Amino acid sequence: MQSSASLTISDLWIERGGNDLCKGLSFSIHPGEAWRVLGGNGTGKTSLLKVIAGISMPLEGEIFYLGQNVTSDRSPLQQEMVYLGHLMGVKSALTVEENLRWYCPERSLEELHNVAKDLGLFPFLASLVKTLSAGQQRRVALARLWLSKKTLWLLDEPFASLDVEGGVMLEVCIQQHLTSGGLVLLSTHQSLSSIIPHDVVLQP
Amino acid sequence: MTYRSFLIYEFLVLWRRKQDVFNALLFFIIVVILFPLGVSAEPAFLAQAASGIIWCGVVLSILISIDHMFKEDYQDGSLEQWIVSGLSLPLLMLLKVMANWVVIILPLLIMMPLLSEMLFMPNTSFWALVLTLLVGTPGLFLIGVMGAALTVSVRQGTMLVMLLILPLYLPVLIFATSAVQAAQSGLPYSGFLAMLLALSLMSLVVSPFMTAMAIKASVSG
Amino acid sequence: MSWLWFHKLGSPKWFFFWSKSWALPVFCIGCFGLVVGLVWGLAFAPEDYQQGNSFRIIYIHVPVAMLAQSCYLAMGVAGLIFLVWQMKIAPMFIKAIAPIGAVMALMAMVSGAIWGKPTWGTWWVWDARLTSVLVLFLLFMGVIALQNALEDITLANKAAAIMSVVGLINLPIIKYSVVLWNTLHQGPTFTITKKPEMPAEMWLPLLIAVVGLYCLVAGLLLWRIQSEIILREHRSNWVKQEVMGNGL
Repeated sequence: MQSSASLTISDLWIERGGNDLCKGLSFSIHPGEAWRVLGGNGTGKTSLLKVIAGISMPLEGEIFYLGQNVTSDRSPLQQEMVYLGHLMGVKSALTVEENLRWYCPERSLEELHNVAKDLGLFPFLASLVKTLSAGQQRRVALARLWLSKKTLWLLDEPFASLDVEGGVMLEVCIQQHLTSGGLVLLSTHQSLSSIIPHDVVLQP
Repeated sequence: MTYRSFLIYEFLVLWRRKQDVFNALLFFIIVVILFPLGVSAEPAFLAQAASGIIWCGVVLSILISIDHMFKEDYQDGSLEQWIVSGLSLPLLMLLKVMANWVVIILPLLIMMPLLSEMLFMPNTSFWALVLTLLVGTPGLFLIGVMGAALTVSVRQGTMLVMLLILPLYLPVLIFATSAVQAAQSGLPYSGFLAMLLALSLMSLVVSPFMTAMAIKASVSG
Repeated sequence: MSWLWFHKLGSPKWFFFWSKSWALPVFCIGCFGLVVGLVWGLAFAPEDYQQGNSFRIIYIHVPVAMLAQSCYLAMGVAGLIFLVWQMKIAPMFIKAIAPIGAVMALMAMVSGAIWGKPTWGTWWVWDARLTSVLVLFLLFMGVIALQNALEDITLANKAAAIMSVVGLINLPIIKYSVVLWNTLHQGPTFTITKKPEMPAEMWLPLLIAVVGLYCLVAGLLLWRIQSEIILREHRSNWVKQEVMGNGL
C-alpha cells in the first residue's frame, strides 16, 4: 500500500508544549498531488510540517517515503525536499545572488539569473538582503523552489507577505511542479481549490 | 546546500560582520592593557604574569564572541534549513566552529609578538605561549559552542553562557598557563601540551554531537 | 535479568506511588544516622593528636563533600539516561537534585574554609580540591540557571541533560587534578581498597554520618521528585484523583 504513494503519514501523533496535536493523523500524497493543511490557529499546522521535515520528532506514528520508513532517519527524504518555514533562512548580511548560490551551488550562474529575472529580483542581485522589503525577501526564499530540482515541497504559509503578482507566480510554479510529478504539502488560508483538491484538516 | 558552500558562505558572513570580530579583538587588547595599569607595570611582575593575562584575555574574548554565534541563524531560520538540508548537522557545526576559530584566533596570534613585548615576556616562553594557544583554543571554541547552542533561544544569554562554560574552561586555562610557566623556568612542557591536546581532542569528539543535539532541541521547541 | 523495573521507573505514575511509601522511612533513617554520627563524632570521638579539636569538622565536611560529588554523578547519569532512552523521569530527577547538590557543594566549601583557618591559617587556598568543589558548585548553578532561563519545557529538559552530561565528563578531570597538583589538602579520607588510617572510634561515626546524609538526601530527593511529577502531570487523571482523595 505504501509503495504506490510517495509520502505516507500513518497514525501520527505530535506533542507541543504538553498539548496533543493531530492525534492519529494519516494520509498519503501521490506524485503529481498537492495537499493543503487546514486548521485554525494552534491546531498544529506548522508543527506537522516541521515533523515531516525532520526538524522535530513525532511522539508516535510513522512516516514513509517511497515505501521506506524514514521516521527515525529523515535524510533520504531530506535529500529530495525543500522546506520553507515562517522563518525563511535568508541571510540578511549576504546579497541576493550569494543567498541563492549558497542554497543551490550546483546551478549555473545563468540559470540563477533567469530565475531572478522571472521573480523580479534581477535588479537587486547585488544588494544585501537586509535592504529589501519583506515581500522581496520572501521572493528570495521562494526562488529556491525554481532553482532546486527537489520532488517534495513543504511550504508553511508561502503566500505570506507576497503581492498579487507574486501569488499568481507561485501558483503557476506549483502547478508546473505538479505536472512534472512533484509532491506539494502546504499550509495556507488562501483558497486554491483549482490546483489543490486535497485537504488535511486538523482538529483542535 | 553542500558542505563546501556552507563553509564558504560562513566565512563570507563573518567577513560582512567583521565589526563583531574587531570588537572581540579590541576587548582582548583592553583586558591586556588593564592589567599593567591596574595591578603593576613592574617588568619583573609582568613577565611572570604575562601568560596568565593573555590567556584570561583570550578566554574572555572567546566567551563574548561565541555567545552570539548562533543568534542570527536562529532568528532568520538558517538553523532550520541546516537541519533539513540532509547534511550531517554535527559536521556542519564543526565547520562553523572551524570558520569562527580561524577568524578570531589568527588575528590574535598575529598580535601576539606585540603584546608579549608589551608584557616583557621572555623569548623562551613566547613560543610556548603560541603553541598553547594553537593547541588549546580549538578546545575552548568546541566547548563554548555547546553553551551557545544551549542558550540560543534565550534573549539575554551572555551571562548564562559564561556561567555554563567558564567552569569547563578552567582545566584548559590551568594546563595552558602551567605549560608557559614551565617553559619560563626552563622545564619541559610537552606534558602540559599533551594534556591540552587531549582536552581539545576530547571536546572534538563530544562537542559537535552535543551541539547538534542542543540546536535541534532549541529549534523544535 | 528482566528490564521491567527499568521501564517501570520511567513511568512517573509508577514512580510516584513507589516513592510515596519510601520517602518518609528513608528520610527518618537518614536523620537518625546523621544525628548519631554527628553527636558521636563531635562530642565523644577522641581528639586528633595533631589538629586537636578542630579536626572534628571532618564529620560535617566529608559527608557534604561526598554528597556534592555523588549528586553530580547521579545528575550526569540521569542526563545520559535521558539522552539515550528518553526516560521521562530523568529530567525531573535532574531538576530535583541540582539545588540539593548546589547546597552540598556550598556547605563543603564553607566547612572547608572553617577547617582551613585553624589548620592552614587561611580561609581559602587555591588548591586543586577546593577549586574543583567551586567548579562543581558553578556547574550545579549552571544547570539550575539553564532550566530557569528556558521557557519551553521540552527544551529545558534536553538542555539540562546535555549540560549535566558535559559536566560529568569534567568530574574525572577534577578527580585527576587532586593527584596532579599534590598540594596542601590532605589525601582522601576514605578509599575503598585501603583500611582507614584513623582508629575505629574516629572513622565509625564518620561512616555513620556519611550513610545518614546519603539517606537523608535520598528522602528529600524522592519528595522533590514527587512534587515535580504532580506539577508536570497535573492534567492526567491519576494526579487529579490522588489530590482529590488524599490532599497534598
